[in-house]
Amino acid sequence: MSNPSTGTSSKSKVGSSQPSETSFKRKRGVFQKDLQHMMYGFGDDPNPLPETVSLVEDIVVEYVTDLAHKAQDIGSKRGKLSVEDFLYLIRKDLPKLNRCTELLSMQEELKQARKAFEVDEEKLGTTE
Amino acid sequence: MKQSKDPFEAALEEQEESPPDSPIGQDELDSQTQNQTPAGHHTLVDDDDYDEIGTNVDNPSHQSSNPTPMLLTPSVNANVASAAAASKNKEYDDDEEEENVDVELGKFPSSADPAKMAKMQAILSQFTEDQMSRYESFRRSALQKSNMRRLLVSITGSQKISLPMTIVVCGIAKMYVGELVETARMVMTERKESGPIRPCHIREAYRRLKLEGKVPKKSVQRLFH
Repeated sequence: MSNPSTGTSSKSKVGSSQPSETSFKRKRGVFQKDLQHMMYGFGDDPNPLPETVSLVEDIVVEYVTDLAHKAQDIGSKRGKLSVEDFLYLIRKDLPKLNRCTELLSMQEELKQARKAFEVDEEKLGTTE
Repeated sequence: MKQSKDPFEAALEEQEESPPDSPIGQDELDSQTQNQTPAGHHTLVDDDDYDEIGTNVDNPSHQSSNPTPMLLTPSVNANVASAAAASKNKEYDDDEEEENVDVELGKFPSSADPAKMAKMQAILSQFTEDQMSRYESFRRSALQKSNMRRLLVSITGSQKISLPMTIVVCGIAKMYVGELVETARMVMTERKESGPIRPCHIREAYRRLKLEGKVPKKSVQRLFH
């Protein structure tokens, strides 16, 4: 049974249905710092064990990889990959779906707010 | 941790996640030391979308313990969030209303559910310091969008990864981590163990999630052969 949390490993995309343009070297600990805080927030120790964090990172990367592959399969029928494909994939998981729609709407309104802010600044600039 | 302001002000403009209904309850929240929140705040700085507005907030009135004035939500969000909130899974406390928006842009009405906001406020006011620190970590932590984008590009082979896609995947991944950690904690209480979560707990949690069907089936098994 391979232990994914041992040592340095360069993970090439084995078994991917799409041919990769280059072999992808994934560095260890891409998400480590963020994951530590996140795991504490979700119930772990303030200082989670490094091997636990590595394992969670592996699992998450695998999850994202599978999700992206599936989304790509769906998106290829339409032509290109879009956010809709991801939303379709998690449609059964209500908390995630709600959270994603919320994130998207927030991002939209932040964009609007920033645009409005810039317009105000322009107005101030011209009147001075 | 910026103690001069409420710790949620800087965090809330993006992390509007409602805390999942933890099956363990308050047990694991005891005797946890203060988390390294300055580093936790650092994750927000990378978020070029969200931090500008948050840092501009003018809130001299927030020195008092009542954080209600800062619970502002743009009206746009209210319309969309109400639809989302209505269909929200009941086990999640709806805390999306806590968004920190620059007050100079106008005072927006709070989101559709003031009752839930009030409930959240009541809960938050009773948090111990440890609980507050953990909750703050929960709200502020996020996977970096740049890293996620890099990962998505390498997976799909396409450079055209839009920003909303990155945001969505980061959100999904964070919730997935939450499921894993909480299930692992459940496993630990079942086995009557304590302390930091160990990889064996995570593996057991992963196995259980797979049985529940929350893990997408892979075409090729890469882990745990």
